[in-house]
Amino acid sequence: MSDARSRNADEAAVSPTFDDRTLKYVGVAVSGAFTLVVGAFLGLILWRQVDPSLFVEIFNPQFVDAFLVVVRIVVISSVLSVVGGFAVGLGRISETTMTRGIAKGYIEFFRGTPLLFQLIVIYSGIPAFWAAGEFPIANFSVPAAIIGLTLNHAAYIGEAIRGGVEAVPDGQMEAARSLGMSYAQSMQEVVLPQAWRNALAAIGNDQVILVKDTSLLSVLAVPEIISTVQNINSATFDIWTPILWAAILYLAITIPLGKFVRYLEARADPAGESA
Amino acid sequence: MSGDRPLIEFDGVDKYFGETQVLRDVDLSVDEREVVVVIGPSGSGKSTLLRCVNRLEEIQAGEIRIGGQAVSEMDVNAVRQRVGMVFQSFNLFPHMTALENVAVAPRKVRGIPGDEADERARTLLDRVGLADQTGSYPGALSGGQQQRVAIARALAMEPEVMLFDEVTSALDPELVGDVLGVIGDLAAEGMTMLVVTHEMGFAREVCDRVVLMADGDIVEQGESESFFENPETERGRAFLSRLL
Repeated sequence: MSDARSRNADEAAVSPTFDDRTLKYVGVAVSGAFTLVVGAFLGLILWRQVDPSLFVEIFNPQFVDAFLVVVRIVVISSVLSVVGGFAVGLGRISETTMTRGIAKGYIEFFRGTPLLFQLIVIYSGIPAFWAAGEFPIANFSVPAAIIGLTLNHAAYIGEAIRGGVEAVPDGQMEAARSLGMSYAQSMQEVVLPQAWRNALAAIGNDQVILVKDTSLLSVLAVPEIISTVQNINSATFDIWTPILWAAILYLAITIPLGKFVRYLEARADPAGESA
Repeated sequence: MSGDRPLIEFDGVDKYFGETQVLRDVDLSVDEREVVVVIGPSGSGKSTLLRCVNRLEEIQAGEIRIGGQAVSEMDVNAVRQRVGMVFQSFNLFPHMTALENVAVAPRKVRGIPGDEADERARTLLDRVGLADQTGSYPGALSGGQQQRVAIARALAMEPEVMLFDEVTSALDPELVGDVLGVIGDLAAEGMTMLVVTHEMGFAREVCDRVVLMADGDIVEQGESESFFENPETERGRAFLSRLL
């Protein structure tokens, strides 16, 4: 018995392909190789594919305009979807069967069908209720985009809020109610601040996805980043120069957004900071 | 101390969880300024008895009165402003400092201005020996400190009655004394209290009357001293002998 165990230990020592020490070097080697390949590919693109003068030329106004359109849509949809998500999430945990059922149906629909489908329903479906040419909103593509992104992401945020509320121990509500606070006061002062903290990571993830979902808006003829890439490509037959701008501009939104969410997380967790 | 008018009265109270009856025709009266300790084996209905007073649980038959008024006919939030409760698991609000935990209900429920509520919260925290922890979050406090903040939080609503539900059961042994000391001080100040506890030494020292529960009913009650020295019922003798 003890012989077998010591022999195993010896074998582990003499066949060290993946022991704790070598694993570190395997990791360095794999990530290093990956970086080299990606770096070489990026270098090749910049050297052979990107036209520096075109790169400068298309920045303004084409990509500046597209960027501002995207930022505007993202900011408005973001705020509206978080507000709507709170309503959906609170409906989802309601004690009233009807309210809970409606919230659940809403979430099932907007999570269960593609965003592209929802955008087309709104953009093409709603004006169909008016006679041809009578629809009162002249340029419906941006409003339709905001409505679609808001409705879709409110469903995901609603689920995040529900999860956040359910992660707050029952004793919190009980303690608040025992002090004579009403249900609404207990939710507002005690449960929701904690639920918000619990849900923030999931909400942040969803908002990053919202930014990337704006790429689908090219289908609604919104002059956003992807349609700008396509326009420049068809005018110049250059693909990599506009793609480089697209990559830079998406990351210019999503990376600061991630930092902003981490800031909110720290702010929502004063106890964590002080402890 | 006892002998004042009854403040809490249970009158033929039945309570069911589904099919299971957890309180059976309970009659009990707690006088103003009286400290009553409820003991008994787990599952005997002690905690449920407490939770019915402030309507965290609803009863199915009988009546519970506070100051002569049936709690079932009062606004539930009004009942709870008159009855303070402290829990086994503290249930402090983790996103608020000790001071904010104590001040939040007076501000929101009573509409007391922030400065005044903070000042009163500071006085209460001083009273439970935590004057130096007003800015601490619950996560940075020991169990005993958290439970004392919870007591201060309940006192902040200036209740007529305090309910203590096994408030030392989740504490490390060396922290129990501080919490019991605070409860003892309250007793000495004349607070009316209904206390569920397993701390027999404390029960004996502080309370006026002991109530022994078993299977959802009160099987014996009596003056603290006589109960512990000379229990009258077989159940009482059996329960005490198991503790010794």
